[in-house]
Amino acid sequence: MIRFENVGMRYGAGAEVLRDVTFALEAGSFTFLTGPSGAGKTTLLKLMYLGEAPSRGLITLFGRDLATAKRRDFPELRRRVGVVFQDFRLLDHLSAFDNVALPLRITGRDPRDYRQDVEELLSWVGLGDRLDAKPATLSGGEQQRVAIARAVVARPDLLLADEPTGNVDPDMGQRLIRLFAELNKLGTTVLIATHDRALIASAQAREMRLVDGRLVELRMPRL
Amino acid sequence: MSERKPGRIMPGEKGAAPLDIVIGVMAFLAALALGAALLADRASDSWKLGLANRITVQILAPEKSDTAVQSEIEAALRVLRGTSGIARADLVSEENTLNLVKPWLGSDPLIRELPLPRLIDAAITPGAPVDLAGLRARLKTAAPDSVLDDHSRWIGRLREFARAISWSAFGILFLIGIATAATVAFATRAGLETHHAIVELLHQMGAQSGFIARAFEWHYFIATLFAATIGAALAAGVFVIAGGLEFAGVEPAPFLPPLALKLAELGWFAAVPLGASLIALVTARISVLGALSRIY
Repeated sequence: MIRFENVGMRYGAGAEVLRDVTFALEAGSFTFLTGPSGAGKTTLLKLMYLGEAPSRGLITLFGRDLATAKRRDFPELRRRVGVVFQDFRLLDHLSAFDNVALPLRITGRDPRDYRQDVEELLSWVGLGDRLDAKPATLSGGEQQRVAIARAVVARPDLLLADEPTGNVDPDMGQRLIRLFAELNKLGTTVLIATHDRALIASAQAREMRLVDGRLVELRMPRL
Repeated sequence: MSERKPGRIMPGEKGAAPLDIVIGVMAFLAALALGAALLADRASDSWKLGLANRITVQILAPEKSDTAVQSEIEAALRVLRGTSGIARADLVSEENTLNLVKPWLGSDPLIRELPLPRLIDAAITPGAPVDLAGLRARLKTAAPDSVLDDHSRWIGRLREFARAISWSAFGILFLIGIATAATVAFATRAGLETHHAIVELLHQMGAQSGFIARAFEWHYFIATLFAATIGAALAAGVFVIAGGLEFAGVEPAPFLPPLALKLAELGWFAAVPLGASLIALVTARISVLGALSRIY
């Protein structure tokens, strides 16, 4: 599904943020990405959702070598990836409903087709009564749940989440992890970047650890 | 269940009033230029119609006696009336001749003392060929002090003048078009900067460049349509008011055709906002696609 080979990344003339990162994510896998702040987790996610091009190395996404893939194919690849950003990136002028519907809308789907899906999903994350609320009127935790709903609404093949439970209470955190697990059971490959040890412990999953831009541990769950 | 209307992808522009004002002013100027072109065109037509089938014979012999002048006039009239293709030839009364110079010289009694030429106004049967060179020669023989004027010099100059006004007006329209495109390109770049986060998010979600460009181009299309309609409507108002003044008896500059535009001509003014908004749409699209092509 995803393969990184000796991938290095630097911004401009700065030091390398990622060095010789090599790993593979199998289709349908569930993985945690851990590591101290500044270790390069967000950059690694960015490379996976085609937010940046690597400075060196080879990235294969859904069987496509990104170095040789055509630019016009990128939108199609990006649509297969759902992302929960650490800073949510909700559009302030749109309602919770419209924010969640955005990935469906850009594919040109008729609003009548997805209306029910979006409403159900927002209910699932506990926001069934806040459909029309603008992000500014939502709490941090509510915004995070809108961001998660938006990332999963199009049933992506790959879900990337950057600290997705950072702003919610433990109960909601568990609920969200169950949502990710459900999605994973339906075939979505999930990668969650987090500091939350409780979260990692609750879901028996593989853990990749980044330290100073290097992947130092690839641990499989205890069976 | 009520239908949920999807919100606009691009938020309403705050602080876009300067752009609206610039576009409104440019549309106003463009519509004035267009009006000038229409008037010049009409002027050219009316001058052509008014003068093309007319010739004038002047007899100016200040040193000759009235009787001698009178016999020259009669001789000239005979020649004219005997020429095939001349529909009629009439002597312009002295009173009317004085009226003709009134706009330039006024109506002081002293003017009567000036050696004014006697004028014969003749009309050519439309479409009939008249041998003007032969006529001129025959007139010279019959009335040595006569001068034949077929107005071709005048018509030529007036038409050149009208053509120059038309071309200047189209030149101005062209320049305003370029300025509109440049303004919108500038505004689009600023808009892209302001909405960078939205563009980046849509791009990351896999939106095609065309989808993002559409959100921008419609935004500028509608904003420009609105601002340019106001500008063009104000310009149309200027022409309507000018027409109203004429109607009320306020005289425009001599020689110019009426400033009032007909309803059908005012219809051309609708082309200004439409043209401006199409320029805005295309410019915004090119700017956005250009900017997106530079993102990974």
